[in-house]
Amino acid sequence: MNYLLSKDEMDAAFHSISMDFKCYGAVEREGEVVFDRVNSFGGISEERSRYAPKEFLISRNEDVLVLGTQDRKAVFGVKSCDLKGFYIMDRQILGKDPFYTEKRRNTLFANFVCNEPCDGGFCSSFGGPVLDEYDLQILREGEMYHVMVSEKYDGYFSSFQREDSSYFTSFKEEFNRKAEPLQVEGVEDRMKWDSKLWKEYASRCISCGACNFSCPTCYCFDLYDEGGERKREWDSCILGGFTSSSAGNIRNGLDERLRQRFYHKFVYFKRSKDTYLCTGCDRCVEDCPVDIDIKEVITHDYSGE
Amino acid sequence: MLSVQGVGEGPISVASGAGRQLLFTIRDIGTVTSKLKTSRYVGVRGPYGTSWPWKEYDEIVAVAGGIGIPPIRSLIEEMNGAGRGKDIEVLYGARTPSDLVYKKELKDWSKSIEVHLTVDRGEGEWNGDVGFVPTLLKKVRLSKNAAVFVIGPPLMMLNTVKEALSIGFKADRIYLSLERRMECGIGVCGHCNVGEFYVCEDGPIFNYSRVKEQRELFL
Ligand SMILES: Cc1cc2nc3c(=O)[nH]c(=O)nc-3n(C[C@H](O)[C@H](O)[C@H](O)COP(=O)(O)OP(=O)(O)OC[C@H]3O[C@@H](n4cnc5c(N)ncnc54)[C@H](O)[C@@H]3O)c2cc1C
Ligand code: SF4
Ligand code: SF4
Ligand code: FES
Repeated sequence: MNYLLSKDEMDAAFHSISMDFKCYGAVEREGEVVFDRVNSFGGISEERSRYAPKEFLISRNEDVLVLGTQDRKAVFGVKSCDLKGFYIMDRQILGKDPFYTEKRRNTLFANFVCNEPCDGGFCSSFGGPVLDEYDLQILREGEMYHVMVSEKYDGYFSSFQREDSSYFTSFKEEFNRKAEPLQVEGVEDRMKWDSKLWKEYASRCISCGACNFSCPTCYCFDLYDEGGERKREWDSCILGGFTSSSAGNIRNGLDERLRQRFYHKFVYFKRSKDTYLCTGCDRCVEDCPVDIDIKEVITHDYSGE
Repeated sequence: MLSVQGVGEGPISVASGAGRQLLFTIRDIGTVTSKLKTSRYVGVRGPYGTSWPWKEYDEIVAVAGGIGIPPIRSLIEEMNGAGRGKDIEVLYGARTPSDLVYKKELKDWSKSIEVHLTVDRGEGEWNGDVGFVPTLLKKVRLSKNAAVFVIGPPLMMLNTVKEALSIGFKADRIYLSLERRMECGIGVCGHCNVGEFYVCEDGPIFNYSRVKEQRELFL
């Protein structure tokens, strides 16, 4: 359902949600926007958080021998590009990774739709910033809030004023005019295994893994024992040891690992899960110390190679 | 997946047939495998992934290289248990005679089924075949409609597939058991992918036709 709320009504809705959930929101702390506990809707920042909110569902590092009960959490102020990452990951890991699944089911995300395209971001290329899947999707218009609510959470809003979806529809059209989508469709057929891009990137990449860690769709992790615990820790396919085994290493070369990252995002995931493993958030580009730009992988003219 | 708490976990095949006491055959090669033998407790998680589809075929040629033999052992036990022992032929090769695993089992099996052995390098009292595993395919008595189950090091699998195809076995009846680094075993950690497949959940046993286009298949 769609609703139109004033700021006070948003506060009231927040309040009723906070009766059932521990509330978190994007807030500024020491010059950085991070997620922290919040107790009113008014204090939530519209700026994008420094890091994707991936940690709400996949801890950087945790013991996987014990799955404790998970708190019900509501997270406000997640940007659409970051939220979409979870819906994409769901297709591979929901229902299989018990930790992710348990946290996912207990977490409500309220995403803020950006009023203007951001620098560098290309979410419109992947259908953003108005999402098809969401819990609460919030688009501010001056002092008013347009809210799309999924069936599961409709109860929190049913006493407010209903509206149709036309505002979102025309907003989306306008947004796409300002941030023209890249030609993504078909990239899985255009990309070339032997493209010169991979070697060129490898000559610059320093294998730091920042691109994976900052990505809202990267879910890979490493498992290892430490003390009495079996730890899961975020891992990166760019690191040399990612595929090394007693049978050898199938991706010894950094160019092969970079290619793997892009093939997984645009070819393999598309084939197996019918969607791209990217939301256009641009985080990997911003965090890459050597300016490797995934947009080039999409727009590069492979036919000329 | 077998684990030693405080040390780690790794993927190990079940070497015994269904309904029997669990048996594993492990090569001591690293962190976990070196501790499994002496550890008082061993963690077992699974089983995961696909198994040999032997019930779908009338005849089966099982080709193993190196330490790839444990999953063939369970296959033989299963087929024997179902009274189908005569429908399988086993081809097995290792680097040297002392690298052949299951010497006692091999002797027992050869009483009732065709077992062909080869080594890359003869040694000591070896008077059997010398040469790579794929060369044994020519000795197979079963028909070319037989399914071919292949497990072993990448180069051995590649050459076995080539040879099998060239002498008339059918691509869609060849099955490969792939080996990749594995950690979770359930399709969530991302380590074991081959193209769009995760070996742990879509495999490890794949129909060759399904994966033959994969660029990293035999790397
Ligand atoms: C489907 C499958 C079945 C297997 N069955 C057997 C078997 O029955 N007997 C046997 O001796 N070996 C088997 N292996 C190989 C065995 O898994 C590795 O030798 C073992 O994981 C090495 O672990 P390690 O800790 O001793 O070595 P290390 O090199 O210290 O490995 C550290 C970790 O890397 C991963 N890893 C390392 N090598 C491999 C590998 N080859 N394959 C997958 N993950 C690896 C594991 O998570 C391991 O815990 C199998 C491999 C696969 C993929
Ligand atoms: S732009 Fe980069 S960080 Fe963002 S979703 Fe795509 S691959 Fe991940
Ligand atoms: S962030 Fe850039 S330098 Fe670091 S691993 Fe990724 S591509 Fe390489
Ligand atoms: S071992 Fe984790 S995805 Fe296959």
